[in-house]
Amino acid sequence: MGKIKPLAAAALIALLAGCGDQRVLESLAFVNATSYDLVQDKEDGAKENLLICIDVPKSDPEGKMKREVLSTVARSKKDAHLQLAKQTELMLVSGQLRSSLFGLSIARSGIWNYVRALVRDPSISQNVKVAVVNGNAGELLAKRYPEHPMTGQYIDRLLEKEADKMSVPRVTVYDFTRDFYDDGIDAVAPILKQGKKNIEVNGIALFDQDRYITRIEPDQMPIFALLRQNVKNGELSIDIKKSGEEAEQIMINSIVSRRKVKVRRGENGNFIVNIHFRVMGTLREYLGDLDMSDDRHRRELEKRVTASLLKDADAMVAMLRKHNVDSLGIGKRVRNSMSYKEWSKTDWNAVYPKLDIKVTGEMIIKDFGKVY
Amino acid sequence: MKEKLHHFHVAILIYMIQNGVIIMSLPRLVAQNFGYNGWIALIGLSLVATLNIFLISLVHRFGGGRSIFKLFEDVLPQFLLYPLYAFLTCIWALTGCLVAKNYVYIFQILSYNTTNAIYLMLLIAVLVFLFVIKGIYNLSKATTAFFWLSQWMILLLLFYFKDFEWARMTPFLFAGETHILEGGLSVFSAFLGYELYLLLIPYVDNYKKTMKAVMIGNLLTTFAYVAISIICFGFYSFEQLKHMAYPVLDLLSYIQLPFIERIESLLFGFLVFTTIITTGLYMWSAKETMHRILPKAGEKLLAFLIIGAALAVSWIPDTLSKVQQWLQFLSYSEIAVAFVLPLLLLAILLVRKGARP
Repeated sequence: MGKIKPLAAAALIALLAGCGDQRVLESLAFVNATSYDLVQDKEDGAKENLLICIDVPKSDPEGKMKREVLSTVARSKKDAHLQLAKQTELMLVSGQLRSSLFGLSIARSGIWNYVRALVRDPSISQNVKVAVVNGNAGELLAKRYPEHPMTGQYIDRLLEKEADKMSVPRVTVYDFTRDFYDDGIDAVAPILKQGKKNIEVNGIALFDQDRYITRIEPDQMPIFALLRQNVKNGELSIDIKKSGEEAEQIMINSIVSRRKVKVRRGENGNFIVNIHFRVMGTLREYLGDLDMSDDRHRRELEKRVTASLLKDADAMVAMLRKHNVDSLGIGKRVRNSMSYKEWSKTDWNAVYPKLDIKVTGEMIIKDFGKVY
Repeated sequence: MKEKLHHFHVAILIYMIQNGVIIMSLPRLVAQNFGYNGWIALIGLSLVATLNIFLISLVHRFGGGRSIFKLFEDVLPQFLLYPLYAFLTCIWALTGCLVAKNYVYIFQILSYNTTNAIYLMLLIAVLVFLFVIKGIYNLSKATTAFFWLSQWMILLLLFYFKDFEWARMTPFLFAGETHILEGGLSVFSAFLGYELYLLLIPYVDNYKKTMKAVMIGNLLTTFAYVAISIICFGFYSFEQLKHMAYPVLDLLSYIQLPFIERIESLLFGFLVFTTIITTGLYMWSAKETMHRILPKAGEKLLAFLIIGAALAVSWIPDTLSKVQQWLQFLSYSEIAVAFVLPLLLLAILLVRKGARP
């Protein structure tokens, strides 16, 4: 008996404590996606206000609408949240937030304040995806896509799937924050574009700190992936044109690639960076005049593909340097080849465009399918 | 004959007292105070703790396994003895209680945000009370069970290999802004707990085996701390780590299972086990000390009074940062206790040996 009393007391306290903060599922609105844009103030044209849209899936089985979109124009995010809460009978909670979309206007002026708010809120997962919208993010989110009634889920799954292939990097709040704070790499994010009936991935946004600078075009995304990270299960489609001949079309999938970055010092103390990638994959489609079952021919094709990849890679590195964005994380490797004293004295933004960067690589066709 | 603690239980007990919620912020503390690759400093601090343990084992050895209270009482007059005991009781009871409060406040970041913390504190207090009145032998057995219930979480570190990158660790050692001395003290507080070995002396037999067990407990702690910190340094960028209040909490929130997400509030719940042990053992120590002042009072009554009083005092700091300031102050005093108490006891033993050739 003596043992039961304290236990009963403990149980009572435990049960009573549970009454304090109730969350009834039916009265909650789980925000699934949020969008941020800057819009001009109607009265004062020079001032810019924040346009926030949220996508809330509806759990009502009898209702026709699968979701609700709320939007508001406000001066700050906090203000916006209060405004949005006034528009719904449910309690807005962000524990199920999956993606946050930033319109081009706001991405250009910097998104860190908004990402930091996502980091600070303990109810928001660090796996919330960050994406830039080519245009107005609010419009993309508010639009109805008849074949994809749950827009928030659609965006989340689209980004997830694209990241599983190698086309766009997987960028979550965690990734963005990590690269934002790292002094040896600049952050990136996938770009989404609103289509007539659907949403498509439309490139990769390159940031300097938290400001959008430039982008990688969709056809260059695989090259960017090869230069930036190790890839598993990617796809490549390449057209090789030779003067006076018809273009050869090559499609390679099941790609596994390794990237290596080496930094060494030149004679006059400058840095020489070598990015090397080794790509292995399966030939899925080939329109050209070489015979794949012949070893010599296959080597020849590998050479051509490698040359084409390297040409694109060189162009990409030049472009990145022109815009002074270190999206490949070369700074990390250069930093790690120095002493702390030297690195803290280095003005990376001034050094980076002048670096001597060489890209080398090889492409190996592991097999070529069932045709001999 | 009284049952003695097995050295396996002693090792686990020490490990569990040392471990606590501080692990949530430890990687940040290490980064802020020791700069790049600050996790290496943990090994140094662990060595300091080992040295301290060795010191305590000397007390164990030369005291012939007698309790420290008996050693004190043989030499010190009562007017010195009681203030000392009262001081120790206060430090230990408050440390225990604030450790629990710190846990509750961090827990409330995640869930039960607006519930009055007193309910959660009372819940822990009841458990701690039930725990303390069982006596040290049962306490150590319960600790072993709690150990298995909470420490499987170390295996979760395997989740982070995918996004781990050595390049983020940089080759810089202790570079950047550092606060070696001040930071060293606050990080060292993560190792505190081993000093309660002093009170375990009458409950164990062989001093060699016990010393080894305590050192193994400390080694386990070091291993857990270092492993978690290395993961954090390679998983987060350095500046990011410095800006995260609870990097390990964020680590937990990163885990996604196909069928469930956001399990950090569930996982953080498991840490209540280590918290109960830490609080429980400090409360037990406070009770043992108090018992010397009031030998006639019942053990249960003493435990009740001490836990109640500590709960009341711990009510004063009402924000998380105040709780952590108090804890820091208490841990400074505790570090002093951990070093001064064995030195004092050794001095007493030496003097007595000299007086009785």
